[in-house]
Amino acid sequence: MPLDTSAYSLALLRVDGRRWNELRRIHAQIRTQAAADGSSYLEIGHTKVMCVVTGPSEPGSRRGAIGSTGGGVGGGAVGGGAAQSKGAEVAVSIVIAGFSSVDRKRTARGDKRILELQSTISNALAASLHTHLFPHSAINISLHVLSQDGSLLAALINAATLACVDAGIPMTDYVAACTAGSTSTYAANDEAADPLLDLNHQEEQELPGLTVATLGGSDRVAVLVCESRVQVSRLEGMLAVGVDGCKQVREILDRVVREKGRRMVQEGTVEKGVGLNDMDVD
Amino acid sequence: MPVTILAPKAVRVGYGANPDHSDSEDSGSDPEGDVSMGLKRAAAGRKAAASGGSGSKYEIVTPGEVITDDPQWMRGHGTYVAPATTSIISSVAGTVTRTNKLLSVRPLRARYTPEVGDLVVGRIVEVQAKRWRVDVGSTQLASLPLSAINLPGGILRKRTETDELQIRTFFAEGDLLVAEVQQLFADGGAVLHTRSLKYGKLRNGVFVAVSGMGGGGGVVRSRRQVWTLESANGGGPVDIVLGVNGYVWISKHVETPEGLVDKTSGITNIEESVSATMYSSQNDRIGPETMREIGRIRGVVTALVDNGLRVDEDMVMRGYHEAVEMAMTSGEGPEDIYLGGERGEQLAAALTAV
Repeated sequence: MPLDTSAYSLALLRVDGRRWNELRRIHAQIRTQAAADGSSYLEIGHTKVMCVVTGPSEPGSRRGAIGSTGGGVGGGAVGGGAAQSKGAEVAVSIVIAGFSSVDRKRTARGDKRILELQSTISNALAASLHTHLFPHSAINISLHVLSQDGSLLAALINAATLACVDAGIPMTDYVAACTAGSTSTYAANDEAADPLLDLNHQEEQELPGLTVATLGGSDRVAVLVCESRVQVSRLEGMLAVGVDGCKQVREILDRVVREKGRRMVQEGTVEKGVGLNDMDVD
Repeated sequence: MPVTILAPKAVRVGYGANPDHSDSEDSGSDPEGDVSMGLKRAAAGRKAAASGGSGSKYEIVTPGEVITDDPQWMRGHGTYVAPATTSIISSVAGTVTRTNKLLSVRPLRARYTPEVGDLVVGRIVEVQAKRWRVDVGSTQLASLPLSAINLPGGILRKRTETDELQIRTFFAEGDLLVAEVQQLFADGGAVLHTRSLKYGKLRNGVFVAVSGMGGGGGVVRSRRQVWTLESANGGGPVDIVLGVNGYVWISKHVETPEGLVDKTSGITNIEESVSATMYSSQNDRIGPETMREIGRIRGVVTALVDNGLRVDEDMVMRGYHEAVEMAMTSGEGPEDIYLGGERGEQLAAALTAV
């Protein structure tokens, strides 16, 4: 069903009742799997992804590393980033569950779309993670898509970032991602179109959109993927809204990590830190 | 199609209400203004975190958070210095520690990082020409050179090419061993040794992997990592090895060669007894009572980890006695070794209450 853009101009509400600058509900958890080095679960609206990080560990055929792809559809791991001799290799594998979208689509093994997602995530994280600290090792990031409703790449990047934080892998900053779009189609050639933040599946189908990821709270763009036709004049606005959305996403991810950390310190699992004020004493 | 309005979602704690996006603002899309506001907010957040070390003492630092701008501090593990600045920024989520002027961040959880002198339990993953590669739960496999083990037939015996050919008779893939970290490489790799009668191949017991010194509870470095416990209910003595890397070994106690010293005088006899048992992969007979008590200790260790308590000699001993008591008071008597779920919580509560 086509998105009724006239309704947007009347009420300034999108199909799911959001305003132009509103994110969907983001719910995230870390340390969802006790046995893994790092794990996370992330929901952006109805997009639900799960991530498990193994490593940094010795690459090669070790017991845990064999048989990474279980059921569903997906591709093999794609490695990227730093050269193996210099730093850890970041290998990402994505499995998209057959039941994740409305129609049960069988994705071929080695699907180009999945391969591209894998290498995008791998490169983005390899740039932020301090891989030089772990020479001759590999960081395996395994992502599972449980439900799809737009902004898939953004959700995958966010989940992978959280899992890496949980695994205690040093990184420059969070890589936070979100999508941005425009209120009218390319064909409409509407110069006055508003930018939109965080597209859902329906909007993603109808409207031009891009995925942007930034390094933490800075304006440094780590990932910028645009797969639709859009007038170049509209791109700037979309990018600005996207970058702002990334900052909001970073705050949300940060809050999840802090909450978990505070609970662990309270429970006595981790020793308390020293405040900087205490440090000034001597 | 009319605008669909979904049912309201659960209240978003904290981040739901976004004061920057008030109703008056949505008529015109003004990305510029929006971005600047977002920036200001982020900057304010950073400043608050940097100035106070945060108000709550339970607060942690997260990646990208500025710990301090003061150039008097030196950066340690878990931090980095942004190029062309003096500010020390955290690279992991964890708690800040300091040693004099050195600031470091201890991660909430990470893989084990070996240190010289650590007692570790490991598993052989690979056999090479002159060394074994051992999984010790670290970022890299540790190596155990053939020259760093006690060869049967005497400590002073020379290593020969025959030993290299027979390398699998000492340790083969999948064997468990207890060893000490002898040396570290610059890239973080460790070299192990078993040149003591305390170390060597493990048998007659059960292996448990919990989180180690990387952070987040689990096994902590302590005075004693290996001890013998006289188990209840006729289980006999049980050895417990808490590897600093979080690998735990619980086994039936067998008389060590040190115990034989009194009976047999002369060093050659000791070494012969070593050769007979040291590299054997054959388990001794273990009575059902001993097996049950080993299982109970394993339950104590996993219950401690599940409830976020540290695993050391004191906690395991107290936990074990508590578990024996709990089994006695429960209906099934000593046969009841279940310590998961509520039972584990009950155990943890009893231990923390003291």
